[in-house]
This record gives sequence, C-alpha cells and structure tokens, in this order.
Amino acid sequence: MKMIEVLRNFAQESKWKWSNFLLEIKRLDRTQYIILFFLTIASIFMLLPIVYIFNHAFKPLHELFLFPPTFIVQDPTFQNFIELLTLTSNTFVPVSRFIFNSVIVTVLATIAMVVTSALCAYALSKHPFPGSKLVFSLIMISLLFVPQVLQIPRYVVVESLGIMNTYWGHVLPLIAMPVGVFLMKQFIDQVPNEVLEAAKIDGASEFGMFFRIVMPIVTPAIATIAIISFQSAWGNTETSQLFMQDESMKTLPYYMMSLTANLANSVARQGAAAAGALIMFLPQFIMFLFFQRKVIATMAHSGIK
Amino acid sequence: MARILLNNVTKRYGKFKELAVDNFNMDIKDQEFLVFLGPSGCGKSTTLRMVAGLEDISEGEIYIGDTLVNDYPPKDRDISMVFQNYALYPNLTVYENIAFGLRIRKMPKHEIEAAVKRAADVLEIGNFLNRKPRELSGGQRQRVALGRAIVRSPQAFLMDEPLSNLDAKLRVQMRAEIIRLHRTIGVTTIYVTHDQIEAMTMGDRIVVMNKGVIQQVDTPEQIYHKPQNLFVAKFIGNQPMNFFEGTIEEINGYLTFSTQTFSIRLTDKQTKMFNQLRGVSYNIIMGIRPEYMSFEKEMFDVYPNAVLKGVLQFNEFIGSDHYYHLDSQGRESFTVRAHPRFSYREGEEVRVAIDMEKVLFFDSKTEKLLTI
Ligand SMILES: Nc1ncnc2c1ncn2[C@@H]1O[C@H](COP(=O)(O)OP(=O)(O)OP(=O)(O)O)[C@@H](O)[C@H]1O
Ligand SMILES: [Mg+2]
Repeated sequence: MKMIEVLRNFAQESKWKWSNFLLEIKRLDRTQYIILFFLTIASIFMLLPIVYIFNHAFKPLHELFLFPPTFIVQDPTFQNFIELLTLTSNTFVPVSRFIFNSVIVTVLATIAMVVTSALCAYALSKHPFPGSKLVFSLIMISLLFVPQVLQIPRYVVVESLGIMNTYWGHVLPLIAMPVGVFLMKQFIDQVPNEVLEAAKIDGASEFGMFFRIVMPIVTPAIATIAIISFQSAWGNTETSQLFMQDESMKTLPYYMMSLTANLANSVARQGAAAAGALIMFLPQFIMFLFFQRKVIATMAHSGIK
Repeated sequence: MARILLNNVTKRYGKFKELAVDNFNMDIKDQEFLVFLGPSGCGKSTTLRMVAGLEDISEGEIYIGDTLVNDYPPKDRDISMVFQNYALYPNLTVYENIAFGLRIRKMPKHEIEAAVKRAADVLEIGNFLNRKPRELSGGQRQRVALGRAIVRSPQAFLMDEPLSNLDAKLRVQMRAEIIRLHRTIGVTTIYVTHDQIEAMTMGDRIVVMNKGVIQQVDTPEQIYHKPQNLFVAKFIGNQPMNFFEGTIEEINGYLTFSTQTFSIRLTDKQTKMFNQLRGVSYNIIMGIRPEYMSFEKEMFDVYPNAVLKGVLQFNEFIGSDHYYHLDSQGRESFTVRAHPRFSYREGEEVRVAIDMEKVLFFDSKTEKLLTI
C-alpha cells in the first residue's frame, strides 16, 4: 500500500523534485526496495523500444542495416524524413494528406468518444431507469467481441448510412467505447448523490450538474479515456481499409501499414518506414506525457473524496 | 420565511408499495425549529426529502408558505438543505461552493460577493474561502455547507443529520452554533436526527416517528415528561425509563398498582383518573424514570406506600451520578439514579421510594398513555 501512496504523492506533486523523491525512497522498507529494483529493471527494459524508435528514425541508410544493429544513432540525419516526404510527393496522394486526415479523425473521434462515454455512464450511474442494469451488462458483454466479428455488420451499417469515404465513416464506428463507459461509470458512481442533490436544490440544470460538477470531479477518468481513445483512433487502420475506397480519405496508419507491408526482405524504404514509425509514435508519446499525472492518479485511485 | 404544511403526506417505495411514510400531518409554524426524531429507517429523511422535492409524494399535499409545492422541482421551492455528508462540491473552492446557487440564479457579481462575505462572517469561515473542501476539517466543512444554505436566504432550511459525522465535542459546539444561527436569522427549520439529546436541546417542538407514523408532536418537556405512548417513553431518555407490568386492584379501600412482587398505593389524583376510566383490574404498564426513584429519606416520608425492595445487581458510575441497577426477586429489574453519596454494594438489598407524581400508566394493549 505504501507503494501506492508514494506513487500518488508523485502524481499530486505539482513539480517533480528530486529531494522529495529521495525522501520518499527513504521511507520504503526492504521488500519494497526489492520490488522497486525489479520494477526499475523492467521499466528500463520497456523503455528500450522507445529509445530505439527515436534513434532509428535518424539513422542514415548505412547505419540502418548495420549488423548487429546499434541502439544509439552515430551520425544523425533527417534523410529518412525527406525520403518519406519525397517518396509520396510524386504519387497520387502526398503523405501530408494522410497526416491531415489522421489529425482530423483522431481529434474528432477522441472528443466524441470521451463525451459519449461520459454521458452514457452518467445516465447509467445517476439516472437508473428500468432495464439500465441490463443495458450496462450488454455494454460490458460487447467488450468480449473480437473486432473482426463486427466488420461485416459494421460495413453494412456504414454503407447504408451513406458515409463511405467521409470523415464520419472514420469517426462513427469508433464512438461506442465500452471500456470508456465502464471506467467512467466506476468514477461517477463514487460521486455522492447528495452532491448532485445539493446542486439540484441550488438550481443547477441536468447539464449544469453534468458539466460543472460531475465532469470536473472525474477529470482523472477523462484523461485516461482520452489517452485510450486517442490511441485507438490514431492507430486505427480498419476504417480506412473497409470504408474508404477513395485514397485521399485514408489515414496515416493505413499508409504506414501499406508502406511496411512487404518490407520484410527489401532494402528500399527502410528509412522512410523508420521515420514514419516515429511520426506515428510521437503524438501518443506526447499525449501520454501530457496526461500521465492524471492517469497515475486514476490508477492509484486518489480519486474523489 | 414561511410556514410549512404537510397534509396526509404518504410515501410508498418500490414494486411492493411499502409504506415509508404513512399519512403524515404537520403544521410547521413560521420561524419554528422543528425536529424529526426516530430510530433508523422510520422515514425521517424520506419526509424531509419530500419537502425538499428530491422525492416524489405518493399521496397528500405539501405547502411551503401558501404555495402548493407538490409539483415544484427543488430549485423552485425556495428551500435549502444541509446533508449529513456535507455534500460540498469537491471541485470548487469554499467561496465558489457558497456562491454556486447565486451564480445559477444570475445574481450580479458584486451582490454575490457581498452575500458570500456576509454568510462567511456569520459562520466564521472567512479565512478559508479559497480552499477546496478536502482541505477542511469536518466541522469546517459542515460550516461551509451551512453557509451555502443560508446565503440564498431561503424560506426554510432542511437539515438531515448534519452533525452525525462529527466527533462528540464538535457536535456540541455546532449544535450551539446552529441554534444561534436560527435565533439570528429566524428561518423555519426542519432538522432530522436520531440523537435525542440534539432533539431535546434544539427543537422548539419534536416530532417522534416510528415506522413511518408520527408518534407524538410536542415540546421537549412534554415529550420527556408526558410521552403519549410506550414507544416514545422507551425511545426518549438517555437512561431508559423503568417499566413494570401489573394490574390496578382495590385493596383495603384504596386503588393500588400491583405487580408480581410489590404493590403501591395510587395518589388521589390517579385514583380519580382510574375511577373515571371505569376501572379496576386493567392490565397496566407503569413507567417511571430512574431519577424519580430514590433512596432519599424525604421520599420515603412523602410516599410511604410506594416503596419497593430490590437487590443491587451492578452500578454505573457516570461522575455526577450513580445508576444502580436493581432486581426485585429476580423477576423485575429497574434502574435508580442516585447521588454519589449513596454507596451500596452488589448483592445488597435496598429499599427504593417512588415519586408517585411522576409515575405514568400505559394501557398494555393499546400502549397509550392513560390520562383524563
Ligand atoms: N430509495 C428507496 N427505495 C426503497 N425504499 C426506500 C428508499 N429510501 C428509503 N427507503 C425505505 O423507507 C424507509 C424510511 O427510510 P428513511 O431513509 O426515510 O429513514 P430515516 O428515518 O431517515 O433513517 P436513518 O436515521 O437511518 O437515516 C426505510 O424503511 C427505507 O428502507
Ligand atoms: Mg435518514
């Protein structure tokens, strides 16, 4: 439990201070030192791919093919990025278009997913209606489906809505987010009913209560859901593959996929792929850094009361 | 400020239409401090929440002022409510908590500022207006909740066990503070509690409830000294009242109350009462509070025919008093409050005189107080 407390203290500290960190460390006992040791090793290990992605993207061609591969780039260059851009400048759709699509789709989808999850969870948690438990169970059960199972019905729906080759076709299929509803409901459940009743007596409308009281209280959950939905929207290739016949409506991850699809044994485009990987990775990384304190707060459950 | 009227108010919950509040009638006067008192689950909160508009009314009418408010949402009833768990908005500062209702009502900014400041002054919370609720102690939080309630100058305050999350000392202090607040602003208040000391010290009148039914509505003195039925008699009093089951009989020309182990002669007044009630040989439950049973010599002189014997079982010493728990022939047990100068040992047999003026008689069937 003390570990969680330490984590939480980190999460709540407005500024990271080494002196505080060392103080916290001193409070741990021996088993916790051992745990800390292994966690440190594990986290360094997990960090390696990230370091690798960053370095790889800046390696000149000859370094890319070194054997054994090197971790740290010796002779950094922007060559790969230039290759990525020029590679596509003379094709039908330039890579900038894919990036543009991705940004729009991801922003729209992330906002829509967070808002929808929150509204849905609020209704399920604070305005129970006959059958609301069943609805929640159904939402939970939908977690069990493998996405592939849903591809065909989804195609039929998107097709009949007439939103093929539009941004709607990218965004709408992503909006329903069972994990988000679940997470959000756990948090909203913890908001005491009396707080909402007090607001009601104070004269707040239903939307007033939702936006001015509930949402600010559950910001850790919002941050978490924002990260999850950002990741799923940013990395999503399915909608491009299924619903976008128009090349100019496809997104970056789809392009990356086709770029690397038959790359395994080839020499060409290795640099472009490495640069692309970094471009794919960077927004998620930034997003996570941005929200990570809140997310740790969610995990350590510093929560609400 | 207003009177509040409840006419035949009834609440049923759920599929099985269980009665939570049964035919509640009450006329709460303007500026009155009314306390709902009763055991857990007796419907105090439900009644209060119906007045607040947080709970639908199954049957009956509620008036606040002269307005029938049955179909009014809470915000239009011009009331404010204080909750047991404070229910402050955790994301807002103390200032914003208090100002919340005013902002929604679109009060001009400078007026809000003045109103919040006034409320903060009354409750002495001016020093932490910029803090968040989680940075306050329980007592401070409840003070903020009170501030949020008074700042809108509503027609009535509704308080649902506002002090029961506080420790004993703070509770006493806040009790005094709420009374002071009520004296200064004189707003009609309904106060729910299951703590009888709170009820006795704070209420102008107390409504004792049980299982959704009003048992008695009266001033604290009346509730204590003239409980209208056995439930109220048992429920009120820190040390429970003593009860003896027996009958009224005529012995040697006098009416007496007799149990299996003793007989005591009734006073003239009580004799008159039982004569008017047509009767001897009633099955009666006699109630007497521990403080009206005594080892004092004067008492034996005044009521020589109202004496019983008991064997001391154990003794509770609470500082100013002893509570002696006695047992009469192993059949009836009772408690006597005594000055600490009396000191008896366990197993000792002692004589106790009863203050007959303070004796209450209940019909054992209807459990009602017998009076004329
Ligand atoms: N939402 C509800 N649904 C069904 N029954 C309820 C509901 N709220 C209360 N009840 C029932 O109504 C009765 C009265 O409850 P209420 O909360 O008014 O009691 P109370 O006197 O306030 O008790 P306490 O002192 O424990 O707060 C109880 O039997 C309770 O089980
Ligand atoms: Mg209650």
